[in-house]
Amino acid sequence: MKSEENKNSEKVFMKPGKTNREDRDNFIKYWANFIKTHSDKEWSSQQRVLIDAQIPE
Amino acid sequence: MKYDKDKREIVLGKELNKIDRFTFDFVKVVEKYVDYVIISGYVSILLGRARATEDVDIFIKRISKEKFIEMHNDLIENDFWCLNSNNVNTIFNYIDEGVAIRFARGKIPLPNIEVKFPKDELDKNVFNDFLVVKIPVGEMNISSLERHIAFKKYFLGDDKDNEDALHVEELFREDIDYEKVKKLRELIKIRQNEIRRKQKL
Repeated sequence: MKSEENKNSEKVFMKPGKTNREDRDNFIKYWANFIKTHSDKEWSSQQRVLIDAQIPE
Repeated sequence: MKYDKDKREIVLGKELNKIDRFTFDFVKVVEKYVDYVIISGYVSILLGRARATEDVDIFIKRISKEKFIEMHNDLIENDFWCLNSNNVNTIFNYIDEGVAIRFARGKIPLPNIEVKFPKDELDKNVFNDFLVVKIPVGEMNISSLERHIAFKKYFLGDDKDNEDALHVEELFREDIDYEKVKKLRELIKIRQNEIRRKQKL
């Protein structure tokens, strides 16, 4: 039986797009779904890594 | 993230990134002097979009020069500076003529805040059509989801703008008033026709 921690860390797979446009839109939908299915703290800590790396001190 | 349509608020328990903190610090000074609403790309970023930005767009209500100078001085005391000039009279003239002015913090011009007065009724209506986003350190005002989507898709409309709109639509699809989006689209169309007509003169 899987532990609660393992259930939460189960990977959800994204459908690749046939074009760059479709692929980008698919990722936006995928990420929005990630936000909806995870706590604010979880998704925002990942967003923070992405943004903070691009902003100078 | 919880959107309460009736209260017109979003409760967001996010871990703040550098752009969130920068924007929050800026609007905390501005709101002492004038009403403001954050518009455009940063609205999507605040609500989780996975991208950064070089600027955050803000509308402030039209204010007197005296009030503007007070606000400017307070911003300077809080380590913000205007990228367009050191002279507050020049800065006020820019914004008064309908030109957006930019403020950054510290020595580096990134990120920066683009501040402008509303140009027409469509812009002014944002002050009757905004949401309060409650974050762990306080509150910020953003344009309504419908207004955000309509402007991104039908006024700006490049790839990045359509993606910003899609992000918000995916998050809040069941709560979005698409009749309102349609009405805003019509108003945007009227404005674009007016702009084209003026350009031909």
